[in-house]
Amino acid sequence: MKSIMSIVAVFLFCTIQANAQKEIPNITVKKLNGTSVTMDEITSEKGVKIISFWATWCVPCINELDAINEVYEDWIDETDVELIAIATDDARTKKRIKPLINGKGWEYKILLDENQDLQRALNITVIPHVVVIKDGKIVWRHTGYQPGAENQLYDVVKKNAN
Amino acid sequence: MKKLLYLSFALAFSVGIAQEDEEKKKDWGTVTGGFESNIQWYNDDTSLGKFAEDEHFRSNNYLKLDYNYGNWFAGIQVESYAPMPLLNYSPKLDDTGIATFYAMYKTRKIEVTAGYFYEQFGSGLILRGWENRPLGINNSFRGARVKYQPSDAIALTGMYARQRDGFEVSEGEIFGFNSEIDLTNALNLETSSLSAGFSYVGRKEDIPEQFQNTGFDELTNAFSARLDYSGETFYSGIEYITKGKDAIVNSQRFIENFVEKGSALLVNFGYSQKGFGIDATVRRLENMNFFSEREAAGNVFNENIVNYLPGLTKQHDYALTNIYVYQAQAAISVPDPSLFKFGEIGGQIDMFYNFKKGTALGGKYGTKIALNAAYWAGLKGDFDFTERDSEIDFFGFGRKYFSEFSMEIRKKWDKKWQSIFYFVNQYYNQRFINDERGVVNSNVAVGEVIYKLSSRQSVRIELQHLWTPDDDKNWAGGTVEFNVTPRLSFYITDIYNYGNDIEDEQIHYYNVGGSFARGATRFALNYGRQRGGLVCVGGVCRFVPQSTGLTVNITTAF
Repeated sequence: MKSIMSIVAVFLFCTIQANAQKEIPNITVKKLNGTSVTMDEITSEKGVKIISFWATWCVPCINELDAINEVYEDWIDETDVELIAIATDDARTKKRIKPLINGKGWEYKILLDENQDLQRALNITVIPHVVVIKDGKIVWRHTGYQPGAENQLYDVVKKNAN
Repeated sequence: MKKLLYLSFALAFSVGIAQEDEEKKKDWGTVTGGFESNIQWYNDDTSLGKFAEDEHFRSNNYLKLDYNYGNWFAGIQVESYAPMPLLNYSPKLDDTGIATFYAMYKTRKIEVTAGYFYEQFGSGLILRGWENRPLGINNSFRGARVKYQPSDAIALTGMYARQRDGFEVSEGEIFGFNSEIDLTNALNLETSSLSAGFSYVGRKEDIPEQFQNTGFDELTNAFSARLDYSGETFYSGIEYITKGKDAIVNSQRFIENFVEKGSALLVNFGYSQKGFGIDATVRRLENMNFFSEREAAGNVFNENIVNYLPGLTKQHDYALTNIYVYQAQAAISVPDPSLFKFGEIGGQIDMFYNFKKGTALGGKYGTKIALNAAYWAGLKGDFDFTERDSEIDFFGFGRKYFSEFSMEIRKKWDKKWQSIFYFVNQYYNQRFINDERGVVNSNVAVGEVIYKLSSRQSVRIELQHLWTPDDDKNWAGGTVEFNVTPRLSFYITDIYNYGNDIEDEQIHYYNVGGSFARGATRFALNYGRQRGGLVCVGGVCRFVPQSTGLTVNITTAF
């Protein structure tokens, strides 16, 4: 028990010590029409982007993207931010993505990380997980969604947009 | 135990050094990683009985480190299940050590990997190596893989590997080849896209002496061909797989002189435009379970699985909707004449609709509806015990295994209130899916309300009820969640099997807990009872026994 606790302590310590991951790994993901796109193509663009990891079966993820959708137009007008929703659905549920986003009327760019290669490379174990990038560099990350968290996210976007 | 501690110090130190070096000299490359720890203290419980296993305290720990320098990548994953893995994880995991490692060289056109890697061909129906820690799945491959992209339209993959099995690898060898061809430009399509794919997967494993020369080879071949079309509003896809003759293995035992081919057909089409979407999927699986070791067929720990055969039904997110979960029935099994199984056939339809803002049903914020219907049956067939031969119909629907209808209505009422209503009707044939007795007909209703106290604080309340005259009878459940800040939240939840005929089994499965998240780190604490049964993610399930205890989860990325 003691040694487990010390292992945990050591890792937490080393985490705090270590610099946070700044780069988005150049993993190939798919567009909805099946064509490939590399993350470098996205991170080479200037400006602030929100990368949101979600899945069609994840209720808090949908709550978050629904909540942002309500105010997304205002966010774009004010900060020129772009939200890229990366679906981690695998073969079981990925066919649901297209009708779901259209049914919901989401205006996001949707990409598919079907075998979770990008999710794994970013060491994301729990979704929803949001990464904010500015000029391709990670400036903020957050795990989980609770109603109202989109305000906190927008504060981060505004701070980095100027 | 000490070894583990030294190892962790060494790793922490090396990360520290790497970071320092990085600051001094930028061109030393970067180290990134993640850590996850799931710790559980199982205690005795007056209602569930004494905890009868070894070790009340158990933990699963994962440390992943990746290094990148220019075009070069390398990494390891250290796993520690100490002093023992959590309940019902494979006993093969009872150890601490380097579980996976890899080195990779990657340019725009070519990628070469040696060591452990994850891979998926097409939808995974023929091959998928993946990791899912809550399910105890890590079916990565250890060997070599080359990916080559001669042009934007063509991607080729070749691999040779053995599959991860605990801290070892499988006996059987896997040979794989995959090609993805984008035909959009070749056909000058402007508003739509068309792509094709072909795959080969071979599994080679020695045959035990007594089963040699009984009509199957060491090498089992599988081929997949697929075509996907995506237009502006309409899309569709088709995939067909054939698997060569192989011995039938039930519950990890060969059935003498019973050799069959396998096949799979997956057809999907959908239509969507703004505010409306519909999708239909049909699938037929005949003898399609595929393992890197023949005798792994039917193992309960999801080990040595080469391909991915999810149950194609809606994945629910509420406790009572996840009691009767369908799992794909891909295998041939002939234990007795009343329980012949040759595979499955069926499909599902999804529909999404958004009642626009300002309409009668839409109200001020719009109303979102999602419907799903699924039907799965056994393949119709016959088995001749003397000839050891089966006759299987191509489009024959046999015994009904499962059906489901579900409806979700989401509505935002004003700036403070929003609600979700969810209803599910299920037919669940326990005899064929779970090897338990009887059929379960059930209805589940869920109501969820979210109330925003301020821009950062909110309360979520969820009420659930399951009605069934079968199995364990009625259940009721509820959850209250208080979100103090976007980072900190607490919850209390309970599901109660009040309808159970046996009074001692009318048990409350209560849980209380909280979580704190900051950046890429999340810390969660939970105390309560876990219902015994299937824990499912992505249509793959793991059986867990019921238990009571304290759980700590830590995840972080750096």
